[in-house]
Amino acid sequence: MIIAASIVLVIMLLGSVATIFAFSWAATHQQFENLDKAAESIFDADEPIGSATDAFLTATHES
Amino acid sequence: MNPEKAPASDPGAIEESRLQRLEIDLAARWPVGIFIGSSLVWLILGSLLAIAASIKLHDPAFLSENPWLTFGRVRPAHLNIVAYGWLSTAGIGIGLWILSRLCRAPIRDNRSLTLAAVLWNMGNAVGSWGILRGDSTAVEWLEYPTYAAPFLLVSFAFVMLESVGLIRRRPPGHIYISQWYIMAAFFWFPCLYFTAHGLLVLAPVQAPAQPPINWWFAHNALGLWFTPIGLGAAYYLIPKIIGRPIHSYYLSVIGFWSLAFFYAWNGMHHLIGGPFPAWLITASVVASIMMFIPVITVAINHHFTMVGHFKKTISSPALRFVVFGAMCYTLASFQGSTMAIRSLNGITHFTHYTIAHAHLGAYGFASMVFFGSIYYIMPRLLEREWPSRFLIRVHFWSCAIGFICYFVFLSWGGILQGLEMNQKETPFLEIVALTMPYLKLRTVSGSLMTLGHLAFFVSFFWMIASHRASIGEPTLFTKRIPDPDPIP
Repeated sequence: MIIAASIVLVIMLLGSVATIFAFSWAATHQQFENLDKAAESIFDADEPIGSATDAFLTATHES
Repeated sequence: MNPEKAPASDPGAIEESRLQRLEIDLAARWPVGIFIGSSLVWLILGSLLAIAASIKLHDPAFLSENPWLTFGRVRPAHLNIVAYGWLSTAGIGIGLWILSRLCRAPIRDNRSLTLAAVLWNMGNAVGSWGILRGDSTAVEWLEYPTYAAPFLLVSFAFVMLESVGLIRRRPPGHIYISQWYIMAAFFWFPCLYFTAHGLLVLAPVQAPAQPPINWWFAHNALGLWFTPIGLGAAYYLIPKIIGRPIHSYYLSVIGFWSLAFFYAWNGMHHLIGGPFPAWLITASVVASIMMFIPVITVAINHHFTMVGHFKKTISSPALRFVVFGAMCYTLASFQGSTMAIRSLNGITHFTHYTIAHAHLGAYGFASMVFFGSIYYIMPRLLEREWPSRFLIRVHFWSCAIGFICYFVFLSWGGILQGLEMNQKETPFLEIVALTMPYLKLRTVSGSLMTLGHLAFFVSFFWMIASHRASIGEPTLFTKRIPDPDPIP
């Protein structure tokens, strides 16, 4: 029981440390800066903002 | 917004961007295709087992002669097959593809990932066979026998290695919120699964410690595995499909980190009323209520991003499924938080209401988002269109109507069941009889959902078998870039 509890405790501590590390890494690597620009990072030159990328054609193409 | 309003770009940059995406999709074709294709086989198998289990609840004699098909085996087989066979397999494929796209880096070692897909499916095959032959571990959500775990472990190690490689190879700069969600999920799942498997199956802890570990795992499997993959997909696909950045990126960051820090405390609310320390459960109830923070941020983002664009759900199958799933996420999360309140939990605990809630999260949200993601991903992986608009319609409407009926009937029946179970003078068999109509309606609703899955299955493999090249001749999508050298 003590061994098992220790394993859980160690895993939880490691998980917590990893989460805090990831958060601090994000904070120190400009991941929380210029967020409006970051939201646009999924768009490309050929699929820019304003360009829908998935839609049915008209009924003439009904299969 | 329509494509004509898109800003003009340098033709060289456009071509470079197109070629880069083609390269990424080509590299992902085999591993992602195998993960997604095999997940559909598990979806069908899991659905058939679900119907069998559902029928047995109102007709216990159904298929009861064969020990492999008794309720005690069919029900956990259904749960594990849809959790690890369908949702996890599809989730890995979708997660890898989105990571690869967002990292702007092709999958480098697609052979090891293909091997990972094969191993993952072997783990599921061995695990489900083990449950049906009577080797279940009897630990809810972890019923796969121990001999299935090594396949899953090795397979996931390959997935983690490649996902870390993708992140390392990304160009410098911002990591988009979907990348955070998916990478986190790829680390959380193995920690959860193999810790719980070790402590509950391999070297079981003493009995009083088992339920907290079991519900720590089972609740987090939904919230720290399926949820981040689903949210990551929705955060990528909704803005990408409608061509508009998400409503508030600030809120998405708050949502992710509040999920990361507080979700893992939630599972103990499953033990309200049980013989456990009061502080343990109270902390979990508080954390469950705190989940309103990430849920509200996600709800605002998904729904406000869609404002003015809901008409696109008519013409985009991917968007239709993903938006349906996003709405269910909001509903499931709000419902989940309220179910942690002790007074309400006293009515809903041990009733069909909980089953309806679990399906709202795992099906209404996760499965529907995954369906939508597959509708978006596959044409790009194969450079081939979906073959039949009719089958997509059957898929959506059967699943949507079937699921809504399932949720409403089972929730209503569950509330009545819970109210009656709190009346000491009501005989238990009367309560069982009270739930019968709702259980029969559940079977009908589940069958409708399975019909939708069959339509999807046929559509998917018809698409793969079809050699109808779509390049230059799009069937379903409006925006296709003509190939300068089309295949005759």
